[in-house]
Parts: sequence; structure tokens; C-alpha cells
Amino acid sequence: MTDHQKTSSSNVILSLVADTFQEARARWLFWGLFALSSLLVLIFLFVLQVDLAAGAISFLGVGSTSRRIFSIQKFVNVSYSWVSIVLYVWGTFLAIFASAGLIPAVLEAGRIALLLSKPIGRTTLLLGRYLGNLLVVALNHIYLVGAVWLILAIKTNIWNYRFLLAIPVSIFIFAVLLCVVVFVGVITESAALSVMAPVGLGLISVLLAQYQVVIKLLDSEWSRRLWMILYWIVPKVFDLGSALRESILLDKQVDWATPVWTSSAFGIAVLVSALHIFRKRDF
Amino acid sequence: MPAGAKFGLLGPNGAGKTTFVKLLLSAVHPTAGSARLFGKDASLPESRRPVGYLPENHRFPTYLTGAGMLDFYGALSGLSSQERRRQIPGLLELVGLASWGPVRIKKYSKGMLQRLGLAQALIHQPKLLILDEPTDGVDPAGRREIRDILDRLTGNGVTVFINSHLLSEVESFCDHVAIMRKGQLVLEGKISNLLAGSGYTVSASGVSDSALNDIRRTGAAIQPTPQGVSIQSPNRDHANLVIDKIRAAGGFIDGLKPSGSSLEDLFLKATASDETLIERAA
Repeated sequence: MTDHQKTSSSNVILSLVADTFQEARARWLFWGLFALSSLLVLIFLFVLQVDLAAGAISFLGVGSTSRRIFSIQKFVNVSYSWVSIVLYVWGTFLAIFASAGLIPAVLEAGRIALLLSKPIGRTTLLLGRYLGNLLVVALNHIYLVGAVWLILAIKTNIWNYRFLLAIPVSIFIFAVLLCVVVFVGVITESAALSVMAPVGLGLISVLLAQYQVVIKLLDSEWSRRLWMILYWIVPKVFDLGSALRESILLDKQVDWATPVWTSSAFGIAVLVSALHIFRKRDF
Repeated sequence: MPAGAKFGLLGPNGAGKTTFVKLLLSAVHPTAGSARLFGKDASLPESRRPVGYLPENHRFPTYLTGAGMLDFYGALSGLSSQERRRQIPGLLELVGLASWGPVRIKKYSKGMLQRLGLAQALIHQPKLLILDEPTDGVDPAGRREIRDILDRLTGNGVTVFINSHLLSEVESFCDHVAIMRKGQLVLEGKISNLLAGSGYTVSASGVSDSALNDIRRTGAAIQPTPQGVSIQSPNRDHANLVIDKIRAAGGFIDGLKPSGSSLEDLFLKATASDETLIERAA
């Protein structure tokens, strides 16, 4: 690849990312996400403003100073951990709803024909769209988690930096689920199905993660194996959320590797399949 | 197609015209065979670099302004931001949308969208321009403007390939034509030669009866007119012979024009036949 071609490819990717961003803005998706995130931020602000937290802290603070500091710390960690889960679930699923139409929109007849006539590969085209979508959601996650973290920290004066892990974890799981959105969008061109599939996978992952309980209840070996196979295949939406909560609650390192690499493998496999189908499709 | 040609692709509905264009642009994949553009495999993105395309029933992103749309498609065509900034004002001027650059596309009329579409197809200065129903939805004045723009482009060596169902449009603009039927090429050639192949009409006056008899013996059909006579020649050589005889007899040539079939006649004949007949008129 020559320098000119490299520059041209990066220009193309940047243009596709910018175009997706502009489309998200024009369709009010970007502002909708921002508005709903702001609503959640305002709710947190309101809850803390009415001194619900201060009341609780004061209640826990009965006793010696050292015991009081420990209790406040614990209360804040518990609060932070649960708030992070709320943001993780809220942010991820809201982002999926917002992103569902962006892939089918680009596949509309009359639009895709013109895009494909340009000297760009189909892989570049779809990846540019994917990255643009990811950027829109990433900015929203940074805003949402950052704002809530600032509010909590200023109010309690406890700056729990582990809470900010909610940003990369939420962006990561969205990136994995966005692969499913792209896959379903490329095959069906349906925005509704593009929402249903990742949301369904997210809910299934909650069930599959209960394998320690479920395999005791299953009476056949093959059904236990099937459950475990599905557990390993499906992205670990639940496990990552649990890891995030534990990391904040216990303030220690947790096992990120397993849910991250299995979810990454799933996302990559789905995205590669989507790209393959997109390259072979006639428009 | 020679550089600078104005080539029209015709065919009845379902003949495969759009599929053919999409094959060239790699929007559909061939089930057999291959397509090449400028000697390169048409499935390679690089082969589309010298091609500008305006699709039929296009759906331009309505959230963009006219200038924004040109910038986006210019970037996809491989132009740097400096090149795009340099090209866009001139292109908007060329298609008569100079003051519409900052306006969102959703406010554009159908004719303006066609002209903007033409500008996006031209932004990277292509060697080949493929236009699918370029004047669809455009009023007569707008059609004339588009034809004038295309005439200027072909004068500069750009080859224009028009896929249209409007025979009159192809006849008035194109110099080459191809007719497809059921996915097969059934007729192809220079329009002037294809139409001339059907004969010529020589209008003359002051021709003596003996000269007319002489001409009649060559097989020409002679019809009296208020000004003189109208002589039907079956081909170009015969028309030249008739002209020579009229001039030798002291008559006057008042006019000479291709006669017989129109493009519509050719089209109907070519698409009605069950045989695949490729008639190449050089």
C-alpha cells in the first residue's frame, strides 16, 4: 500500500465515522441519548440534593470516628457499585436502541449503490459505520458515567476512581453487542430485529451465568454440556457487570480476563461473519 | 467505448440494463464471467476510481448540505480535504447550485437533486461517467442544462454512459447506442450509422424526366413533392450515386437526411426478435 493509498484509506474511514456521527445527530439519536443520560444525571443530583445519602451516611456514622469513616467508605462503595450497574445496564441497552437503525439505513437501495460505486472496499465501508456508531455511544458513556461520578464524589468527598471502570466496561460490551446489531442489520435490514437480537442475548447471558445453580438442576449430561457451551459462547453481559460491581465494591482486582476474551471472541466472530456476508451480498 | 463517446444503453424493462451497470460497479456479483473497467477487474475498488456514477432513485443523506454531500462523496472518492475544498465551489457553479451549497438537501427539488447528484459524480474528475436515468424528474429546461453540461464534459474527453428508457433522450444526446434484451446485447453501434443503414432521403428540384428515369432504374423510389422530388435511397453508396446523377443532369440538391427507421423503430425491431443479433455499425 502506497502512502497516498494509506492517507486515502484513513480519509475514507474518518469520513464514514463523521458521516455516521452526523446522521446520529440529525436523527436525534445523539441528542436523545444525551437527553436520557442527562435525565439520569439529574435524578442522581436530585436524590443527593434531598440529602438521602447524607442521612444514610449520618445514620451509619454513629459510633467512634474510625468506625464511622470505615462505614461511610463502605456505604459509598456499595452505592458506587450499584450505581455503576445501573449505568452499565442503562447505558448499554439505551445505546443498542439508538444504534439499531444506523446499519439498515445505509443499506437502503439508492444509497448503498452509490456508496459501493466509490473506490472503497465493502469492509472499509461497514467498519467505518461500526466505528462511527461506537464513537457516538462512547462519548455518551463518558458523559454519563463521568457526570454521575463527579456528583457522587463531590457530595461524599470520596473519589472512587474504580467507578470510572464503568466507562471502558460499558463501551466494551456495547462494542461486542454492536457486532450483533451489524450482523442482524446486514442480513435482515431490519432495525427492530437489530434491537431484539442483542437485547435477547443480554437477557440470555443473565440466565446462562447462573450455571452453578442450573447444572445441579439439569438431569442429563448433554443438557448440562449444552448449557455450558452456550455460556461460553454468548457474550458475558452479566459476568462483566458483576465483575464491575465487585471491583468497585471490594476495591480489588477481579477476573476480567475470562469474560473479556470470550466476549471478544464472540464479537470478532460475529463481525467477521457480518463482513463476509456483506462482501458477498448483491445490492 | 472510445474516450469522449456519448453512449446510450437501451432495453425493455427487465432486459438487465441496471444489473449490467451494477456488475460494472460491483454492487452485484456475476454468476458467470467477469467484468473489467479500464482493463482492471471490476470487483477491485481501485478499478472504480476513474468512474463517476449517478444511480437511479438515489437517496442522498438528507441531513447533509449540498456542499457537505459533495465533501463526503469526494472523500470516499479518494480526494484530500484540500482538493475537495478546491473542487466543490466550481462544481456547484457548474450545475447551477452555487448559492445552494450551505442548504440542507431535504430542501432541494428533484431537479436540483439530480444536478447535485451529477456534481458528486464529477467531483473526482472521472474518465467515465455512468448515469442511470439522469434526467428523471427534471423539467425540460433542466434537461437541457444537464445535456449542455454533459456535452462540455465529452468535449474534454470524458466518456458518458447513459442508461435510460427515454429513447428521445438517447437519440438527441448520444452518438453510440447499445440495445439489450433478456440480458443479451442485440444491437450496438454509432447511432448515425444504425439509422443510416435504413436509407436516405434526397430532396431535389430541377431534375429532368430522363434523369429521374435513369435514377428510377437504379432501384430508388421517387416521390413528387411541391418543390420537386423526394428520392429514397436504400444506403449511403446509393444516395451518393443519386446525388451524382442529379448534379450531372443539372438538378439541385435541396436536402439529404437519413430516412426510414427512427431509433424507436430500431429499438422495437431489436427487442422483438427472438434471435440474438449483434449488429455492429462502425
